[in-house]
Amino acid sequence: MTKKNYISAALCLAVSIAIMISTSMNFLAAREVPMPEWGPSVTEVKMLSDWFDGLAGTNGDTPVYVLKGEKEGGAALVLGGTHANEPSGYMSAITFIETAVVEAGTIYVIPYTNHSAMTHNDPGEGNIQYFTINTQSGPRTFRFGSRATNPIDQWPDPDVYVHYPSNQQLSGSETRNINRGYPGRADGNLTERMAYGVAELIRAENVGITFDLHEASPEYPVINATVAHQDAMNIASEGCIELLLGGIDMSLEQSPTNFHGLTHRELGDYTDTMAILMETANASQGRLRGASSVEQVLGGLDRFYVINEDLGMLYVPFDESGHPIEERCGRHLQGVYEYISAYNNANPDDAILYSGVPGYAELFLMADPATLGGPHLGSYLK
Amino acid sequence: MSKKIITLLLAGVMMLSLAACGAKEAAPAPSAPSAPAASAPAAETTGLTEAFAESPILVTSGGQSADYQMIATVMGKVGMDYEVSNLCTSADLGDAKTLIIVVGGSSKGLGAAGIDADGELARLEELIAGAESAGLSIIAMHTGGEARRGDLSDKFITPIFEKADYAIVVTAGDEDGLMAGICANNSIPMDAIASISEVTTVLPAAFK
Ligand SMILES: [Zn+2]
Repeated sequence: MTKKNYISAALCLAVSIAIMISTSMNFLAAREVPMPEWGPSVTEVKMLSDWFDGLAGTNGDTPVYVLKGEKEGGAALVLGGTHANEPSGYMSAITFIETAVVEAGTIYVIPYTNHSAMTHNDPGEGNIQYFTINTQSGPRTFRFGSRATNPIDQWPDPDVYVHYPSNQQLSGSETRNINRGYPGRADGNLTERMAYGVAELIRAENVGITFDLHEASPEYPVINATVAHQDAMNIASEGCIELLLGGIDMSLEQSPTNFHGLTHRELGDYTDTMAILMETANASQGRLRGASSVEQVLGGLDRFYVINEDLGMLYVPFDESGHPIEERCGRHLQGVYEYISAYNNANPDDAILYSGVPGYAELFLMADPATLGGPHLGSYLK
Repeated sequence: MSKKIITLLLAGVMMLSLAACGAKEAAPAPSAPSAPAASAPAAETTGLTEAFAESPILVTSGGQSADYQMIATVMGKVGMDYEVSNLCTSADLGDAKTLIIVVGGSSKGLGAAGIDADGELARLEELIAGAESAGLSIIAMHTGGEARRGDLSDKFITPIFEKADYAIVVTAGDEDGLMAGICANNSIPMDAIASISEVTTVLPAAFK
């Protein structure tokens, strides 16, 4: 080898090492998932492994915020971050934790249901990794994660994912999608164990009503929608009418009996909870959007979706004002409120009463449009 | 030299394949988005002028969207008595004097009911024929708005609305005037309402 080769090889090696170091630091930093502050009714923060120790010490274990009322009552569970790339889900859960004043009953809130999915991004999506919101205490940075469990925690994917216990077959990548893993199993893969932990919590605490908060791309048909297990349809109908009366365009769907692994199917089948899932419109998901940006995530803005609306490709109205995070969290939080109210009407002895959480009017309708897209939501966060 | 280039290329390909291995599967392609209506045609409909319907009432779905459950909930809220069955046939009409069909297609709902669109259509045709021969009044409702339009929902609209004695439609779902046109052409009284909340006034007004 000539001297020249040594120099170019050394240079290449140095550049490779520099890239490795910077990307490794970036990858490892994503494991620091920002946590909610304690709101007025938080009495303790447990871990999901307190209900199912098969998660202890894994990246699938996740904090469970316990909000207890002074009076006895029923129990509710709010799941945020089932999909860590659907920010209105976990931002609604965080807002709930930081603002709710629970008067009766207990509300369990899991901000990051798939904690592992929060610790990485979908590389092919070019997604943002972080976004910052100005809150009462100053700027706070939140994560934007992936739809699925981090492959560093669960790998490799099989070619075909066979759901337990239905034997339904799905694409191998769905093995890491917790919302295809319910009711889960104690000796399953990490994603199945996470799902099992949620089901165990529901069974142990007699959770009467469970919410799973999602977002979908504007070109996905089930959007601005509530999907409910058949046992929850009476409550869901009543709550949905209240939402419609409050000016929230919401359609109600009954969970298909033959589509397995989802909260609204399996938690209803394998526990006694009323299982309800809600979807809002996320401009940072989907195929018809422009390059990823914070404006998509928080502002809900994307000019390509405006064009696609004109072409009739979308299932939600989409104009230059977009669908800001306040509108999306407002829908979720108002939904939780109305469905819990309907639950209380049906179960007066097991009522769950709370106040203080901003709803659709506070977060969106009454807000100064100039403050939408993060600042207004931040004004409710500690 | 060429060996070096090949090695570099191979290394590049390997990096690319690594970079793409976490991509999630493509989102489902939209099958039938409801296109915004260009303009509403000038179909002249008239609202209901006097009460005609009688109890007992049977409520069913036309397309298995959950809208029928919401209407049942609204009826309960205003104190109306009714039976509800999403899969009833003419054999289930019993002593009912009015049949309310809440129209809206939902693939999730069809899945939940374990029936396909053609089976649902056949059920409704049999039910409507039975109701007509038994002399029931038929009220067709479409309250799901724009979300309950598109290929699947539209399949159910014409056969049900044509047979109705009275129709109630939330305007956001009829911007193209499909239902208004059917009602105008068949002299069916139709009330167009702005939101489902107005069902609480127009529906009870139809009952004697
Ligand atoms: Zn989701």
